[in-house]
Parts: sequence; structure tokens; C-alpha cells
Amino acid sequence: MTETHRGCPVSHTDYTGYAPIHEHYRLLDEDREKARFQYNDTTDRGYFMLQRYDDVQEGFQHHETWTTAVRSALRPGLGEPLLPQDLNGQQHVKLRRILNQFFAPAAVRRMEPMAQQRCVELIDELKPAGRCDFVKEFAIRYPTDLFLALLGLPVSDGDFFLGWSEEFFNAMLAGDTAVAAAAKKNILEYFDEAVNERRKNPRDPKEDMVSRLVEARIDDEALSQEDILTICLTLMLAGLDTTRSALGYIYTHLAQNPTDRQAILDDPSTIPNAVEEFLRLYPLVFQAGREVQEPTDFNGLELAPGDVVWLGIGQANRDPRKFEDPERFVLGRQGASQHLAFGGGPHRCLGMHLARLELKVVLEEWHQRIPEYRITPGTELTERGGQLTLPTLPLEWEV
Amino acid sequence: MYITIDADRCMGHGRCYAVAPDLLSDDEEGFVAERGQRWEVPAGQVGPAQDAVDACPEGAIALVENAPADA
Repeated sequence: MTETHRGCPVSHTDYTGYAPIHEHYRLLDEDREKARFQYNDTTDRGYFMLQRYDDVQEGFQHHETWTTAVRSALRPGLGEPLLPQDLNGQQHVKLRRILNQFFAPAAVRRMEPMAQQRCVELIDELKPAGRCDFVKEFAIRYPTDLFLALLGLPVSDGDFFLGWSEEFFNAMLAGDTAVAAAAKKNILEYFDEAVNERRKNPRDPKEDMVSRLVEARIDDEALSQEDILTICLTLMLAGLDTTRSALGYIYTHLAQNPTDRQAILDDPSTIPNAVEEFLRLYPLVFQAGREVQEPTDFNGLELAPGDVVWLGIGQANRDPRKFEDPERFVLGRQGASQHLAFGGGPHRCLGMHLARLELKVVLEEWHQRIPEYRITPGTELTERGGQLTLPTLPLEWEV
Repeated sequence: MYITIDADRCMGHGRCYAVAPDLLSDDEEGFVAERGQRWEVPAGQVGPAQDAVDACPEGAIALVENAPADA
């Protein structure tokens, strides 16, 4: 007899460990096909899993009564305050309205020349060696530099900033609070100085995000210094690991599938479509969490206040009910961009357009300079669960 | 053929105006400028309109044969 919890089949799958690359997608697919809804009992609070595309999309749109009081079903108690994520309803909308204009496609396009230039500089540094650890030497450095540029800070600060952000992120995931606190202190002091500098010497708030945050008013009140720093920290936490991880999976795919690599070499104008299909196929944030605030009958699943809901992004993106041959990379797939890699509803990823730009620029500039490359023979690739990433990806090429 | 964009469902993913740039445009926050509207799709834009429907991750865009009754 199937084990159930409040009428729901129970899953014991642990999604937080290390595993061979792509193993988590296999587990996600397996769970999705077992039952429409499941209850997973591997965390303290447990969570109800929404796994099919239509259910996950609808779940994201349930934002009025399912809130981000829980942001991750896997780590419902993650204490780090985040903005704007932690806000809901009108408060959330008001803060997003201030930030949106710096992350809209039009604003992101203005960053493109700088993004290209920085990308080329980093590739030129690496190319002569004929090999690199793509994850450590490129994929994390690039989004870090662009993040600093977004804050109006010198990209050369990436030399030391990267160490802090890596230390903070890793310690936070490992639950090492003392190390995390020390790294966070360095980061916040650095942001604090930058924000104070902008208070003294404001730039055009239409162009400069920090100046805009300083002068912004919500219900006639300025944002506190603490909230501005939290916003900066949130952008850092949201934008660096994810981009690095996306690049890791994309370059693994392209190194292992020369036909797909040749397709973008032959016609680089297909790169935006390739990015969209990669986002669908290899989502890093494979789940989001929500906390139920009111009793809900969700298509027959009875939920009570305090329940944790899992919105199965990775399962939705690979749901055969939505995407034909979902495990295949199909360049130019009709409707690929309906994927939920960036979430949905009002909390959808603020940085999605910047992420798309970064991935596009890297694919364009890298393949112009290093069109042929391979994973160093003998490498066994692994992935981190929770929020997927490849700890290492050694690549080599002829020089 | 009429196109409608549901302003409550649109979250500014920006996929629609990326695939149908001659039919749809973006505002400075990144939302489709035509959200909340419904209008007759111009000749030659039915294909891009369908692409916009297929591109939206929120299901906010629809194509309908006839003018809605209350339009």
C-alpha cells in the first residue's frame, strides 16, 4: 500500500546532496511521474509538491494567499533577509517598481557594450593557457564583474569582492554561521561605503541604481540604509551563483554535443533561442517554496495555513505534458520561453533579462574566440543539489 | 482575429515583444506596453501574434476569432 500523508503519496527523495551531473533532473522526473501531488518528508517541515507544468504555473500565480514567508521548500528556515523577495502584496509591487527599470530589457541593452568588453577581456586572459577550470576562472568571475558595474562600482574590485561573496555563499549553504557572518560583514561594509559615496555625490537616478535607491520614496518614506544594503546583498546572492551554474551546464552540454555547438557556430543569430532552450532544459533553481496563508483546495489537494508548497520548476520545464521530448535540446523549439526557470507571478526573477544578456554575450564572444573545446578527459562531473551548480568544469582547447 | 493581454497576469517576462516586435512594444519597466488591451491583429501579424501567445510563461495572451462581446 502506498504511504500517504493527509491523502497525499509520500516522497522520501532528498534533493539537497551531491550527485553525478544531471542526477537531480532524473529524480525530479521520476517524482513527477509517480503522482500528480506528493508530500516530501525529508525536511523538518515537509512540503507538498506541485510538479506538473500547469500546476506549477498556477502555484506561482497563487501569490495572494501563498507567500514568500517560505522562499525555498528545501530550506524554509533560511534566515537571511532578502529584498524584495520577503515582501508580498502591494509593498512588494512598490519596491519592484523602483528596481524594475534597471533590469528591464531596455536598461539591460544599455549595458551590452560594457558586458561584451568585459567578457572579451576575461576570455583573452584565459585563452593562451589552452585550459581552465571554466567554473572557477570564468563563469563566476564574469557575473561578479557585471554585478559590480550594475552598482556603479569598478569591475576591478572583483579581484577581492569575489572571495567575499564566494565565502559568504558557501558558508551560508553549509550552515556555517560564523564564517558567513564574517564574510557578510566585509560585503556590507563595502556596500555601505558605496551607498554613502552616492549620498554625497548623487548620479543621475535614471541611470544609476544606487542613486535611485537613495532618492526613492515609498509612501513618502525613504528606504532605510539597512534596506538598501539588503537589496544590494540580495542582488548579489541572486545573480552570481545562478549565472555561474547556468554557464556550467550550458558548456557541459556544448562540449558533449558538438552538433549543437556547430549549430550556434554556423549561425550565431540563433544564440538567444539557444539560451531560452538551455534555461528550460537546465534550470538551476529547480524549486521555489511558498507558505500557505489560507485554507486552499488546489485542484483537489487540500492545503492548510502553515503548509509549505514546493513549486517544481525543474519538473515543469521537463514535463512531457507541456514540452514534447522534454529531455532533448531543440534549438528554436516553439514555446520554449514558456519555461519557468525564472519563476512566475509577481516574484519572477528580477534579473532575468540581465541573465539572458550575460549568457548570450558569453556564448557569442567565447565561440568567436574558442570555437572548439572539450571537457578534460577523465573528469567525473558532479553537481550540488539544493540549488544546482557544478563545483568544477575543466575545459581544454588547442592553442 | 483579436489579441488580448491580461494586465493582471502579465509579469513583465518580456518574451512577447521579443518574438513579435512589430506588434508589441515594451515600457520602461519591461512590461508589454499594450497590456490590458485587446485589438484586431493587423494583416500579416497573425503569425507573430501566435508566437507571442506561445512565448508567454504566464498564459497572459490570447488570440480570439471574434471581437469580445463587451469590447
